[in-house]
Amino acid sequence: MRKMVVFLLILAISLPVFAGGSKEEVAEGSVEVSVWFHSGKGMERDTLNAQIADFNAMQSDIVVVAKQLPEGSYTEQVNAAALAGGLPDLLDFDGPFVYNFAWAGYLMPMDDYIDADMLADILPSIVKQGAYKGKLYSLGTFDSGLGIYGNRIYLEKAGVRIPTGVDDAWTAEEFADVLLKLQALPEVEYALDLKMNYGRGEWFTYAFSPLLQSFGADLIDRSNFQKSDGTINGPKAVAAMELFQSWFTDGYTKYNPGGDTDMADGKAALSFVGHWMYTTLKEALGEDLVLLPMPKFGGKSATGMGSWNWGMTSSTRDPEAAMIFLKYLMEPDQILRMTNANGAVPSRKSAIAMTDLFNVGGDLEVFIQQLNSTAVPRPETAAYAVITTAFAEAIDNIAQGADVQAALDKAAQLIDQDIMDNKGYK
Amino acid sequence: MVLRKSTLMSQARYEAYSAWLFAAPALILLSLFLIGPFFMSLGLAFTDLRLISPLPTEFIGFRNFVRLFSDTVFFKSIGNNFKFVLIVVPVQTTLALLLAIMVDKTRRFSNVFRMIYFMPVVVPMIVVSVIWYFMYNPSIGLINKGLSFISFGVLGKSLWLEGEKTALPAIMILSTWQGVGFQMVIYLAGLQDIPQSLYEAATVDGSSPWHTFWYITLPQLRNTTIFIVISTTILAFQLFTQVKVMTNGGPNDATSTTVLYIYNQGFKNLKVGYASAVSVVFILIVLVISLVQRKYLKSNREVG
Repeated sequence: MRKMVVFLLILAISLPVFAGGSKEEVAEGSVEVSVWFHSGKGMERDTLNAQIADFNAMQSDIVVVAKQLPEGSYTEQVNAAALAGGLPDLLDFDGPFVYNFAWAGYLMPMDDYIDADMLADILPSIVKQGAYKGKLYSLGTFDSGLGIYGNRIYLEKAGVRIPTGVDDAWTAEEFADVLLKLQALPEVEYALDLKMNYGRGEWFTYAFSPLLQSFGADLIDRSNFQKSDGTINGPKAVAAMELFQSWFTDGYTKYNPGGDTDMADGKAALSFVGHWMYTTLKEALGEDLVLLPMPKFGGKSATGMGSWNWGMTSSTRDPEAAMIFLKYLMEPDQILRMTNANGAVPSRKSAIAMTDLFNVGGDLEVFIQQLNSTAVPRPETAAYAVITTAFAEAIDNIAQGADVQAALDKAAQLIDQDIMDNKGYK
Repeated sequence: MVLRKSTLMSQARYEAYSAWLFAAPALILLSLFLIGPFFMSLGLAFTDLRLISPLPTEFIGFRNFVRLFSDTVFFKSIGNNFKFVLIVVPVQTTLALLLAIMVDKTRRFSNVFRMIYFMPVVVPMIVVSVIWYFMYNPSIGLINKGLSFISFGVLGKSLWLEGEKTALPAIMILSTWQGVGFQMVIYLAGLQDIPQSLYEAATVDGSSPWHTFWYITLPQLRNTTIFIVISTTILAFQLFTQVKVMTNGGPNDATSTTVLYIYNQGFKNLKVGYASAVSVVFILIVLVISLVQRKYLKSNREVG
């Protein structure tokens, strides 16, 4: 018995196996470029791995050594690595998290490495996302599209108008009427899926801050990024969030959806979500799937944008080499390879021209229209990390019935306190 | 005489040296990874140190502590820790004792049962958490499907990790299941240390099984129980892995724990100074609890 106990204890203690990392051999005379990226969804990850393998095979001057980090705690791991001085040459950032890095001086501007022709070919939204204080710090191979997917059968049965482009998006009154009519259909369990199952995190800010902007409010006063009080909790913001809350109290949406597939299963009539659900929904609904532009909830149209983007660290040993690899990823063919895998919006006009999906008449043309007109970038400030935490918490509480003014006041206080603590992030 | 004394002296010195030598690895590691960081966080708690920032760190006095007292998430997290400890420690200890007695009394296949109950302990917590995350899925998870099947659809509608009321209990269930095997093995060892003669005497005196358990087994296991209660309490206060993997503190902070909160403040919100202040307060609270437990259990030890 004793022996058994001792044996089991040793087993228990020794079990966490040491996983050894293997380092690729770098041939003599070639430059090594280290790359970190978040291990996203299966197809996206496979594509990037294949691109890296192809790049390494097609030339012998540069060897890309890539490492994937789990998406769930990617930003935290990168933060810790920055502190420890262990950043790679090139890494990707989740949208606006790039600004805090640029502010802290961990990133190298890439303006000198991109020529004017290339810059002109890149979607304006991507350039805007990568710019901080007048310099370009990052580039993305794809942008995101946020809209509302609809089930044509339900929409026609409810007898509502189906918008076809940004210009004829539903007005606030129309949208209220659409919800009412869709909810009344017997086969519809609930009208609007807001993907609340993604949980408190970046989704809440990405998806629901455009509501504020549609009402003329915002997350922060963008004139100098110094103050959130009065903007995030002003009367316009409160009106926007009261509309949001009413969707829950009126039963049009659910705080706890059964899972990720309510729209595909026919339970929900509309799904307020990004480009990444296109493949799943298209498979389920086929020709009955329509992509609708973001309604004019508060008088004008506003929607989200931005996605993962690549930045070059200031510790990069060979910026030329790192940029050669990034430019390879930014080649129209390579962009399409990626967007065909993840369904995102290609980040270069020349790449978009080569697709059917995003061109005139394509299923996802609305996303391009929105990115060219109504999409609003998330605030380009180093305070973004705190802004998104505070706003996501407010959204979560408002969805669960908290007092709107109080929830937004708390967010404003958290954000302004942080900006003050950091001397204005100047 | 003089010679002998010096030999004794040198022997004593030699023993002192070797004692220090043997203690050195533990002492170095402890001061490097435990004592050092503790004093560091005590100092950092009074600064505005950020994880990444071009701004210099400044001494800010008690600002972190003042903010802490109006921080509702912090209090909710501490509260969750207490709820977890108050429920999991007694339940897990009782369950471990029951399992140990059952395994001890089983003549055939006792090894098999022991292995089965011990297996979850050997699996790393992160793996357990991922597996249970899928089992708890409200619509397709094994648990709801199973409950619905055996109750003909009456049960199995719980939201588990996604419900504000059920999330923490769900994590308690999984933690107990994962940890109980370890305590069971310790109880088993304790059970086998009880002299057989005591049981024989009890049989001769005509004691009922319940009396034998209550007046012989339990008192004889006192030291084992003390060890188990203290170690489980400490482990329970460190609750992190399950929560980080399964709920990340949600929904609405229902499963946020202090260690998770410290992690989020430090690595997500980049506020290392504030995270240090939280850990200092947390250490003080745990210290008080350990001292109380120690004092109370020590006086009992003399009886046992």
